Amino acid sequence: MAKLEASNAIVLGISIDSPAANNAFAQKIGVTFPLLSDMNRKVLKQYGILKMYNVQKEEYDWAQRTTFVVDKQGVIRQVEEEASAINPNNAVAVCTKLPKK
Amino acid sequence: MHCRHPKTTILATGLLAVLAAGHVFAQNVNVAHTTLKTGDMAPDFTLLDNHWNPVRLSDYRGKKNVVLAFYVLAFTEG
Repeated sequence: MAKLEASNAIVLGISIDSPAANNAFAQKIGVTFPLLSDMNRKVLKQYGILKMYNVQKEEYDWAQRTTFVVDKQGVIRQVEEEASAINPNNAVAVCTKLPKK
Repeated sequence: MHCRHPKTTILATGLLAVLAAGHVFAQNVNVAHTTLKTGDMAPDFTLLDNHWNPVRLSDYRGKKNVVLAFYVLAFTEG
């Protein structure tokens, strides 16, 4: 996180949880960046990462775990999906290389 | 049809049932892959943060680089 802040980047966490659940989650794990609530899945659809899961024969749609690095011009500079998106180091590396101003 | 090895059949069915049961939880039916790629404009959006305040992606334009981290569900390892 310190490296990200040093590269003038911020993190926005996004899931389908409610703001109330996200706030409890933020307090539990001690994150300081915003956790955004996409309860109606509009952004997940927009970004094409809504994924169907079958749980006990019922279908649910949640986010595919994905990380996007967006630069100051609003351009996507990196996309990471699934397992590789867990490790933030690549996102940090990309941000560090982006111009600070 | 005469079945020579009823025990084998039962065992095989049992094994299949166990294998199937392992897939009942969170079986991925439809894998979604984003069509967005490096160099594309990030679609703008406004969502409520964990303090019920609206956050707009384009508010950071010209100010900050943004890492959008989509996670599966809160309170899980996802």
